[in-house]
Amino acid sequence: MCTITPISLTVGANRILPTVAIPHPLGNPNITKEKEYELRYSLVERAINALQTEIKEQTIFEQ
Amino acid sequence: MKLEIGKIVIRDIQFSDITKIDQGILHINKEEMIAELSTDMRIKSIDLDIAKPGEDVRIIPVKDVIEPRVKVAGSGGIFPGMISPVDTVGSGRTHALKGMAVVTTGRIVGFQEGIIDMSGEGARYTPFSKLINLVITCEPIDKIDAHEHEEAVRMIGLKAATWLGMLGKDLEPDELLTYETKPLLEQVAQYPELPKVVYVYMLQSQGLLHDTYVYGVDVKKIIPSIIYPTEVFDGAILSGNCVSACDKNPTYVHQNHPIIEDLYALHGKEYNFLGVVITNENVYLADKKRSSDMTAKLVEFMGADAVIISEEGFGNPDADLVMNCNKISAKGIMTVLMTDEYAGQDGASQSLADSTPAGDAVVTGGNANQLIVLKPMKKVIGHPEAAHKIAGGHQGSLREDGSIEAEIQLITGSTSEVGFHNLSAKGY
Repeated sequence: MCTITPISLTVGANRILPTVAIPHPLGNPNITKEKEYELRYSLVERAINALQTEIKEQTIFEQ
Repeated sequence: MKLEIGKIVIRDIQFSDITKIDQGILHINKEEMIAELSTDMRIKSIDLDIAKPGEDVRIIPVKDVIEPRVKVAGSGGIFPGMISPVDTVGSGRTHALKGMAVVTTGRIVGFQEGIIDMSGEGARYTPFSKLINLVITCEPIDKIDAHEHEEAVRMIGLKAATWLGMLGKDLEPDELLTYETKPLLEQVAQYPELPKVVYVYMLQSQGLLHDTYVYGVDVKKIIPSIIYPTEVFDGAILSGNCVSACDKNPTYVHQNHPIIEDLYALHGKEYNFLGVVITNENVYLADKKRSSDMTAKLVEFMGADAVIISEEGFGNPDADLVMNCNKISAKGIMTVLMTDEYAGQDGASQSLADSTPAGDAVVTGGNANQLIVLKPMKKVIGHPEAAHKIAGGHQGSLREDGSIEAEIQLITGSTSEVGFHNLSAKGY
């Protein structure tokens, strides 16, 4: 889980999930606490799904 | 756009009854100047000090370094959009007080300001130890947010430099230099046989307290655009950031931009210097993509054969540097990158956060993790205990005898990514 996915590609990560922004990868100060919780929950859920997905090459899991 | 820079050499600064420049000596009425600067309710007290090259003096923590300048002819005023009204600068004539600077100190973020030593080993690492520095110490009111504090100290420094610059308006300069860049099509036509060079000027914009301003606009809100090189000499770009001291560009460096000055030096002889593309280093991936797309497009649009790209700061801006390099190279344009390194204290680690096989050459400003011991000083202006927290220092950096053991990262301007510094490499 990372914001600057080109760096993830450079360093050789195989499953890459784009996040929000560098200072707040799993949060967003511009939305309410409740919305932020939903956002974080969904990101973690997608990360777990990505771990269970078969891949053959470096893959970015876009929305 | 044609700009004359008249250099007025300042040989000494003294506190005295009347504020004036006489025979190269800057006299300052301290009370008058403090009163002039004391207009911000967020600042409790202001004090002035003079620090001269070779003195047993340490300035810590340094926020910004600024050169006093004044517009003598041509549109606009110094620091347009910030101190002077918004108006295009970069033409006519500007006078600069050389050999001195205004230095602001303040414990704003605490870990992202720097040190200037006026003597000893530390002085060798900062270009600002060679200047006679008028140091402004600002103490804020008790309850102040860091970003408000930054703004207050930034404005006081800019105001002070502008106020002192005015003293040089009617003086005869010791030296007069002329810089000229024509509108693009005329500039291309002037030296049709020479390779065309553009400078890509990356500006720090990683967020609150990591900001740079262009004509008063926060750079994270711009999309890349083209400026005439002379605009920077009039303060169109200025520093509002509190990032690691070694490789940010203090306002003084923007005003005396070494890449732009050097590109002018051989302009019309070895190459045709077309102009400058300014771009940012934002913290959202979409911004990085958009800005690097736009930068590559503008460089192509201008017809460049080669570009110099300089980074400001480190870490995620390394990704912007690499994206700019990849996208500009892909258009068949030669690229030279300027950066510095965080290669660990032994220099063995990967230097940048990102890398690429593209690009034609890289120039490094040095390894910011290199260790140094700074001697104790008789006089310290500011807050010496900041050394424990400044990036490059660690808890225990400030020793009991007043010496400091830390990485050169905490020295202002030590690994400049535009080459405004003292480090060099030797082959053996």
